Amino acid sequence: MKRRAAILAALVAGPAAGALFPPPAAAHGIVARTDLPIPVWLFGWAAAVVLVVSFAALAALWPNPRLQGEVPMRRLFRIPAVVDVLAGAAGIAALGVTVYAGIAGVQDALGNLAPTVIYVVFWVGLVVASVLFGNVWRALSPWRAIARAVSWLSSKVSSGEPPEPLEYPAWLGRWPAALGILFFAWVELTYVNKDDPSTLAIMVLAYTVVMLVGMALYGIETWSERADPFGVYFGLFARLAPLERRDGVLYARPPLSGAPKLELVPGTVVLLCVAIGSTTFDGLENGPLWTSIRPHLISFFQHLGAGGLIADQWTGTVGLVVCVGIVALFYRLGVAGMSDVGEGHTPSELAGKFAHTLIGIAFAYAFAHYFSLLVFQGQAMAHLISDPLGHGSDIFGTSHTGINYNAISAAGIWYVQVAALVIGHVSGLVLAHDRAVAMYRDVRDAVRSQYWMLVVMVGFTSLGLWLLSAVNT
Amino acid sequence: MKRAIPLVVLVAALVVAFVLAKGSGNDNNKTSTTSSSGPVVVHVVNGKPQGGIQKITVNKGQPVRFTVQSDVSDEIHVHGYNFHKDVKKGGSVSFDFPATIDGIFVIELESRGEQIASLQVNQ
Repeated sequence: MKRRAAILAALVAGPAAGALFPPPAAAHGIVARTDLPIPVWLFGWAAAVVLVVSFAALAALWPNPRLQGEVPMRRLFRIPAVVDVLAGAAGIAALGVTVYAGIAGVQDALGNLAPTVIYVVFWVGLVVASVLFGNVWRALSPWRAIARAVSWLSSKVSSGEPPEPLEYPAWLGRWPAALGILFFAWVELTYVNKDDPSTLAIMVLAYTVVMLVGMALYGIETWSERADPFGVYFGLFARLAPLERRDGVLYARPPLSGAPKLELVPGTVVLLCVAIGSTTFDGLENGPLWTSIRPHLISFFQHLGAGGLIADQWTGTVGLVVCVGIVALFYRLGVAGMSDVGEGHTPSELAGKFAHTLIGIAFAYAFAHYFSLLVFQGQAMAHLISDPLGHGSDIFGTSHTGINYNAISAAGIWYVQVAALVIGHVSGLVLAHDRAVAMYRDVRDAVRSQYWMLVVMVGFTSLGLWLLSAVNT
Repeated sequence: MKRAIPLVVLVAALVVAFVLAKGSGNDNNKTSTTSSSGPVVVHVVNGKPQGGIQKITVNKGQPVRFTVQSDVSDEIHVHGYNFHKDVKKGGSVSFDFPATIDGIFVIELESRGEQIASLQVNQ
């Protein structure tokens, strides 16, 4: 009971301490416009809705698992094989154009096609597409497409059996993906040359080489599902989608029903904490709390002998890692509390069994945070595609279209942000409840264990709201 | 269910703390923002804004008026609104345009990539 009280105190003290600091310029990849902070009245309403929804959920949720194992799916239609070939070709073409533009075009973040493709269409757009349509990245991935084309060609040319791929080490799990996404977030948020087109293009090429070597060694499917950071990352979000492709046939399934099937391999929880933590840091960087801490950290690193830019970079790195750490710690504390309930499940076991409940939270964070970037900077694709190098060409006659910043009002953006967080919160509660009733023999234990998950979910949602409300003004 | 009660109280306290913190934070902000009525001058010294990144706050529909006085020659770029004006070394340049788009926008020395001010247009 004492231990329980200590955990509870820590859980509540963490976010509360964060809230007591007064709320802190645009830092991620490319930015021309930042959202206005969520106003107090909306913040209050959102928090109230979150609480009411949470307690209503505890009272009203089902006593038997509904989303575990095989759920009924409705067959839609067979996807012709040619779609894969075309999608793969499109992916390779996009990769080629982006890298070429990055290297040969003007070295300007907004005038060159590459940064917008990478930070907006790819990093944000594909997350949204995955949640809506399922794992589209599997078909579009240029790395998978190149590897598959090469393996098809070599099977035509050589008569012998292809060599067996190496066995992918079980302990490695999703760790390569977690570290890869953390590195990408670091580049986007703290790296000095984050918006330098040629640097990005070279990184894309390096990534391509690593992916192709990995696929050659461990097999295309194994590598894409475990180690290819973006393949794994988009694949997580695709688990929330109402569509699933199996053996070439497209099925409709209940939303979220793909999430409980998340395989519990090492690195999964870390990957999700990286996803949530990196968005947290991106939000934090725009707020007063970070602007008040930042100068102290920079002078600390300068004191250690680092130059101005390097000190700045180290400061960002510390901030990013600390945010990921806080997210992980908070989840871990909730899980530790849960392990006190019922039949002696260990915290490590529970951390894995409830990891999938964080997918919706990670999506809510990403969507709330990057929605306006997608809506506004996404429009830039119209002129960038006509003038990818920024040299003044007009291939499709659209090079003079601008960005309509009044496409959606500030209030419209707030509502979308708050709705995303609340829906993400509900998805987390639903998935956690469903897993709990499947795990605990006693329904009362299942419900009791969920008080802890409720605190975790309310904590994450409040933190998300706070980040959106604490924008530097 | 008894055990849930302290938890409910704690969660509620947490939310209240958030709302209060948010409220007080906002009050602080109000006192620190520049009023839109007076002319704002951003002084650029050695290619950096004097006194840090300057804040210009207006309501949507009002005019945005500010002057940049610079000891380096560069191009001033108001992002979002996409206004560009050159400033000569030791010279100054003024902007006057209606605030038609809400949001927070970067104003920078284009070739240096140095942010000198941020324009906040409240809706």
